[in-house]
Amino acid sequence: MNRFSAVVAAALAASPPSAAAAEDEATVKALLQRIEALEARLQQLEAREQPLTPALQEEPLTPALQEEPVVQTAPAESPEMTDAVSGSERITMTAETLAREPDIDIGGALRFNLVHRDFVDSSEGKRGESGLDVFRLNVDGKIDNILVSAEYRFYSYMDTIHHGWLGYEFEDASQLQVGIHQVPFGLLPYAAHNAWFGVPYYLGLADDYDMGIRYQRQDGPWASHLAFYKNEELNSAGDLDRYSLDLVQVGEQQNEEVNQFNARLGYTFGLGSGCETELGGSGQWSEIYNAATDRRGDHWAAAAHVDSRCGRWNLQLQGIRYVYDPINPAGVDSAAVRVGAFGGSYDIASEADVAVANLAYNFKPSVPWIDQLTCYNDYSRLFKDEPDAIDSQINTIGCAVGSGPLFTYIDYILARNMAFFGDGSMAAGGSDEWRSRFNVNIGFYW
Amino acid sequence: MFGLGMFGLGFPALAQNSLNVVSWDGAYVKSQIIGFIRPWEDLTGSRVKVIEYSGGIEEIRRQVRSWNVSWDVVDLELFDATRACEEGLLETIDPDSLPPAPDGTPAREDFISGSLTPCGVGNVVGSTVVSYHRDRVARAPEQLADFFNLKDFPGRRGMRRSPQGNLEWALIADGVPREDVYRVLSTEEGLDRAFAVLTQIKPSIDWWRSGEEAIRLLETGQVAMSSVYSGRIYDAVARGEALEILWDHQVWFYDVWGVPKNGRHTEQALDFIRFATSTESLARQANHIPYGPVRQSSMQLVREEVRQILPTTPERLATAIELDAQWWSDNTERVNIRFQRWLQRPVMVPRDLPR
Repeated sequence: MNRFSAVVAAALAASPPSAAAAEDEATVKALLQRIEALEARLQQLEAREQPLTPALQEEPLTPALQEEPVVQTAPAESPEMTDAVSGSERITMTAETLAREPDIDIGGALRFNLVHRDFVDSSEGKRGESGLDVFRLNVDGKIDNILVSAEYRFYSYMDTIHHGWLGYEFEDASQLQVGIHQVPFGLLPYAAHNAWFGVPYYLGLADDYDMGIRYQRQDGPWASHLAFYKNEELNSAGDLDRYSLDLVQVGEQQNEEVNQFNARLGYTFGLGSGCETELGGSGQWSEIYNAATDRRGDHWAAAAHVDSRCGRWNLQLQGIRYVYDPINPAGVDSAAVRVGAFGGSYDIASEADVAVANLAYNFKPSVPWIDQLTCYNDYSRLFKDEPDAIDSQINTIGCAVGSGPLFTYIDYILARNMAFFGDGSMAAGGSDEWRSRFNVNIGFYW
Repeated sequence: MFGLGMFGLGFPALAQNSLNVVSWDGAYVKSQIIGFIRPWEDLTGSRVKVIEYSGGIEEIRRQVRSWNVSWDVVDLELFDATRACEEGLLETIDPDSLPPAPDGTPAREDFISGSLTPCGVGNVVGSTVVSYHRDRVARAPEQLADFFNLKDFPGRRGMRRSPQGNLEWALIADGVPREDVYRVLSTEEGLDRAFAVLTQIKPSIDWWRSGEEAIRLLETGQVAMSSVYSGRIYDAVARGEALEILWDHQVWFYDVWGVPKNGRHTEQALDFIRFATSTESLARQANHIPYGPVRQSSMQLVREEVRQILPTTPERLATAIELDAQWWSDNTERVNIRFQRWLQRPVMVPRDLPR
């Protein structure tokens, strides 16, 4: 208003005497009338300031106050706030909420391995090895009810998509996911605590990612998953540059997994308490397309699991039965099928049972710079149907240590007739020697 | 000229069109909007932008230090106002500039003890209590210790994601008399003891930041019990929610108004505070949310039925704990660092270790 009076005064002083004087005079008169009206309004307002006395205890104060007030809420720097007035209807969103719940999260990790393998001469001779494990980038987000999640991984010998899917979250918090995502089978999300995983992973029956559609929901203690996968994640069964194990077309083995159905049901006893135990069952049925015969065979797998988190303890038990029944060309042995990932492939028994027994304890850290200390012993075994085949076993004892953005796995792995351990084989043959690998995996996560 | 000078002198509020007032959420800010924000807008012609937050002084510190101040008035917990004042982040406010009670009693005498501080002008006595949904618990809790008893009172718990109040309750549940709580908390052993009690129920805790989140946890049945700001319950009950309050060992505290330094609208902010903390304004707010007004003169203007449900009735104060603002002002930084670390440390084996 001061600026207004100054403008009026300046206008009066600057008005030149001219033939338009009458018009100017009318303008000034109008301005003066407006100013008088404003002064009158001001006096009214001043008068209303005084009687804010007991009468104000009566409600409502004014008709306007009967309106349901909806608070405008926005971060201080939000453009929304600039235009906001109290009572305007906006989504409740505080600065802190925005800070901790961005629509899209960009994250990732950089991990290195320090390794000693007793079955590799050079590793013995060099007193161990070190190298890049993985560099990964993650995108995770939720915009309204649309979900997105993707992870890209770079290894020194390959790069690949780990997973990538779009989803929709329904009102009841159930989700539909389309794309490359984790197959809901057995213990979730992982069938081991350690970084190297166990037998189910090396069979493609844990932490497996395929291309398809998945529906998941939680109804109190019940957790259910239904999924259909058209094929493995890359739609290129000859491509070994992948993260999770699938049937691959290498050499005489020309099988690939297609048209796979998955169902998983779990019930958690003591949900929400400090002692939760999930009992669950999973089933997997798929066709196996053979490129050489152009025919489809079958595959099925079934699992039962117990996952008990009680206080600081976690006990995981799982039993799996699986069968691969491919239609190979004559001369190709169907007692084994070929799986691959990480740029390589190997054979696994076509029919076998698997047992998993993992035990972990979460210690209370005694030093201030450690946030988490989880120690475990994970054991798993492959019982092959093939007569006289040597079972594959792996046992990992170790600890996972979290400290701020750093997360380190320190694992001592003993394996017998396992893939990636010398001449171990998860099909027939192989070696009955126990091999060891001491593995420190140091990761920085953001 | 034309007598327009009085605009600036008599109504500093008219010098600008809006004031950024930062407060809490839900029924609380609703009571302020109805109680005095809209009347102030109506009176002055100015507009108030109400910005919600969930406490703390980090944003104030950031704004004041950069001289980029957009928060004109902030509703602070007393301990935050105290430490912000000690850090020089808030304007000092002369109590004599506040309007007297209608009977002429000076503001200094009208405000209840402790509610006027060098940088903060009290507005309400708030309270944190345990609440539960009576249709969702097999057995109603009868004392604070029941909140920490998962065996006999199963179900998840909601707690504010801050140490204030939680540590006090943990010690009370562990047998510490309420008058000794801060003495015990002042020792490392006492802190260990409080965190140990919280650790026992940690896997069952859902953390909330804003008062409305706590109400939603109860409404949706995500938790069996939750700490909650007591005044919010009545609003939820009015919506038909069967929420009950356990008053045992309620933690009461002052909320105060503060004005961040280096702002451009300081005079207008102080003008707003003078209006918001008048006898009538505080009474109007209390009539919309059952928190105790900090002016003694306001109480006679509070409706009788509201007075009956204030947290400050003698029987409700019988076991109450006053949140020690000075203790928290002195210890917030130290305890909060430990609390945040404690939050990051899982008790149970995590389901999803980083891979």
